[in-house]
Amino acid sequence: MANKSKEKNPLILSPRWKIIVYLFLIVITVILSVVFVLRKSTSPLFLYFLGVLYVVILIPVIRKLFQSKKLFTYVILILGAAISLIPFIWMISTSLKSLGEALGSSFFPSELHFENYIEAWRKADFSEYFLNTILITAITLVGQITFSVLAAYAFARIKFPGRDLIFSIMLSTLMIPAMVFIIPNFLTVTWLGRITPIPWINNWPALTIPFMGNIFSIFLLKQFFAQVPDELYDAAQMDGAGHFRFLIQVVLPLSKAPLMVILVLSFIGSWNSLAWPMLVTNTPDWRPISVGLMQFVNEAGQEINLTMAGAFITIIPILIIYFFTQKQFTESIARSGLKG
Amino acid sequence: MENKNFLQKIFTGRRGRKLREYLTAYTFIAPATILVFIFGIFPVGFALFVSLHRWKIKRGDMLGLANYVKAIGNLAYVLVFFLGLGALYGVYVLIKRIINMAKEKEESPWPCIFPGVIFSVVVFALLNWFYRALPQVLDISFLIRRLEDKTPAVFFQLLKDALRSETVLPTWRLFFWLLIAGLVVSGVVLRLWRNKRNLNYQSKFALLFTALGAGVGLLYYTFLQVNLAYAESIAEGVDPGIWPQVIMISGGVVLLGLAWLLWRRAEKQDSTWRFILYLLGALVLLVGGWLLIGEIPEIVAQGDEDLWEGLKVTIFFSLGTVPFQLGIALFLSILLFQKLKGSNIFRILYFIPYVTPAIASAAVFQQMFSNRESAPINMFLKLLGMAPQQWLNEPKGIITLLGELVNLPIPEWAAGPSLALTVIMLLSIWTYVGYDTVIYMAGLANIPDELNDSAEVDGANGWQIFRHITFPLLSPTTYFLSLIAIIGTFKAFNTIWVLRSNLALGTTDTFSVKIFIEFFEKKFYGYASAMSFVLFAIILILTYINNKTQGSKVFYG
Repeated sequence: MANKSKEKNPLILSPRWKIIVYLFLIVITVILSVVFVLRKSTSPLFLYFLGVLYVVILIPVIRKLFQSKKLFTYVILILGAAISLIPFIWMISTSLKSLGEALGSSFFPSELHFENYIEAWRKADFSEYFLNTILITAITLVGQITFSVLAAYAFARIKFPGRDLIFSIMLSTLMIPAMVFIIPNFLTVTWLGRITPIPWINNWPALTIPFMGNIFSIFLLKQFFAQVPDELYDAAQMDGAGHFRFLIQVVLPLSKAPLMVILVLSFIGSWNSLAWPMLVTNTPDWRPISVGLMQFVNEAGQEINLTMAGAFITIIPILIIYFFTQKQFTESIARSGLKG
Repeated sequence: MENKNFLQKIFTGRRGRKLREYLTAYTFIAPATILVFIFGIFPVGFALFVSLHRWKIKRGDMLGLANYVKAIGNLAYVLVFFLGLGALYGVYVLIKRIINMAKEKEESPWPCIFPGVIFSVVVFALLNWFYRALPQVLDISFLIRRLEDKTPAVFFQLLKDALRSETVLPTWRLFFWLLIAGLVVSGVVLRLWRNKRNLNYQSKFALLFTALGAGVGLLYYTFLQVNLAYAESIAEGVDPGIWPQVIMISGGVVLLGLAWLLWRRAEKQDSTWRFILYLLGALVLLVGGWLLIGEIPEIVAQGDEDLWEGLKVTIFFSLGTVPFQLGIALFLSILLFQKLKGSNIFRILYFIPYVTPAIASAAVFQQMFSNRESAPINMFLKLLGMAPQQWLNEPKGIITLLGELVNLPIPEWAAGPSLALTVIMLLSIWTYVGYDTVIYMAGLANIPDELNDSAEVDGANGWQIFRHITFPLLSPTTYFLSLIAIIGTFKAFNTIWVLRSNLALGTTDTFSVKIFIEFFEKKFYGYASAMSFVLFAIILILTYINNKTQGSKVFYG
């Protein structure tokens, strides 16, 4: 059958020849493209020829896509990705423009002004704000993780009177909108600042201590700790380990994933918080990056190449952390979301 | 030495081991629980306390419901009245439960009433003490601020003085002795009537009498406050008309409830005639109820106009973001779920807006949607041959603007969200689509493949599979996401705070933003607290309605 059709139509090439011709065409196209770029030749005939070559090369790819009915899907997905990313691309390209060009209408800069980043960093006092944010995040995280791990362990693995009552009362506070808390907590923090030797307002305690008791992270860890098999605890008890040692030596090493999620979430949280830091700080001494960036955006106003550089600087650390942890991150968000 | 022996005795043996477990558990949860209590539970009571006062930076006079009346007009009285009724309904439910339990187990738990009554009084005594002591304790900070050395000893001395002042000490004593009496009576009852469920009954009775006290107290308080309002208005020569309003709205709610019941009954009727009869009855009641409740907007008009403007903006924000966000996310997640090459990369990319700090993305949107003619979005409009827009500075409604485009006058009530708010909504959708997509994908992963396969064998096409299998099985995810998203729009603050412009005339200020302005800029702490409780009430009602309507249709496969 195959031989017959081959005899009938000698123009149809065998698959091996097809590939060779195709590769040959690609090589020619690449060479001609390089020639075009180097020589900047503008002969219309040459351009036409190059265009036809590109179409001939692309046709099999497009046909393959159409055959698998996936072209449409890819077009939509790429469109979605473009919409997600265009603001970032625009931000980066604007941050590299000169001021005049940034106010103009071109999308890409004609020459790259990397010094914008240095200027934004200097003008917005980012070194101080970054240090503040890192300190605030670190102090909050240490407290939050320590307290949450302890509490979650007790709620998940020890039976004691009032356990379910206390936990459900704590969980019910998740429903209450943050605006209900903000006024009384501000009053409480001012009060505490007046009676304790260290001030709370404009200082680290007001920015960190209220966030150390985090119900969401207790909830997340509790779900995880409850899955640790009981046999492990029995074995540990045989070896003479109490709850604390079991927690430190067995449970914690097993629960890197939820700890990572709490870490990233509270990192994002402290990078995002605005209302509370605005309330409890009125000098730059302890202001976090979020308030710093907002001030810079308001002050620098029309110098949008600088404000975009500043915005990009604040995004970088989060993006780095996200790309390193994205697998566990999206997975645990999905899992916690479904259960919550 | 003897002491040590005693301690050793307590902590050994089987009972001792249990005690040790409890102690470990309590020490483990102590730090987190104390923090959650100070910054998460106590503030609710404190905010309530603040909301009942004139409080501008410093505490002023007790105002009663005045802050709430300022916010929502006479509806405040109606709501407190309903709260009281709700507590009394709780009493009814508890009595029913106790009687059922007693009947089922054939026992008579009636002696437990005594400790129950005393414990409920203890709760009120504690609240009374709290109410008296809080101002005194708050004032310590003003005393101590003037002192040079803030040693702990000075603080504790001042605390002692505050708690021993004339107004506080008697209430503490009352609470203390009542507590002792309660414990003694409870112990006696425990001895006399030995039963496993004794303590259970005692706590139920305590809850019952607390609810009874709260209900009666709230009703009486409403009565007092309404009388006060009447006295004030009569002095000014106007009729506040609170009682008729209370009665009309209560009647309306009762009618709506009855209509709902009839509706449910109608579904169960076999004969068509009866079905139609029930349905007609329900319809009549429904219309009657709505007519009576129709009073609400008029009452509310006496309240704070700003607040209702904020609520309107919030509702626009919810309606304009949540459906689009979920729709786009569902679509994308189904596309991504086909196990294409590179779908992982797309997922990572879609998620980036969600992890981006809100202030940075708001700054970018501010510039992209700038009113400059050369700003990217205006350039894009120019490409389409349209005039540049003011975007974030535009208070006009989006439907009005669309109408202007085709020369169609749009009435004011149909103006829709302002263009400035629309930009913020776009930012919100852009941010959360990735998050929703990831969660939808997790939901899709839970749907067993066999279902889709068997449907395909039966000859169902893609749309049919989606309509009859995928979408119903995703309903828990949709329910969860819509709840989170709606509550999120009520919480939204950061992006709006960065993007709000004075030229938009407050058309972008949601409820939360209004509260924050009242608190942060105008320093009306009392009024802002009252507003935050109104917000809380709205969120509770929305969650309840969402649970009732959507929750029953959610299909947990």
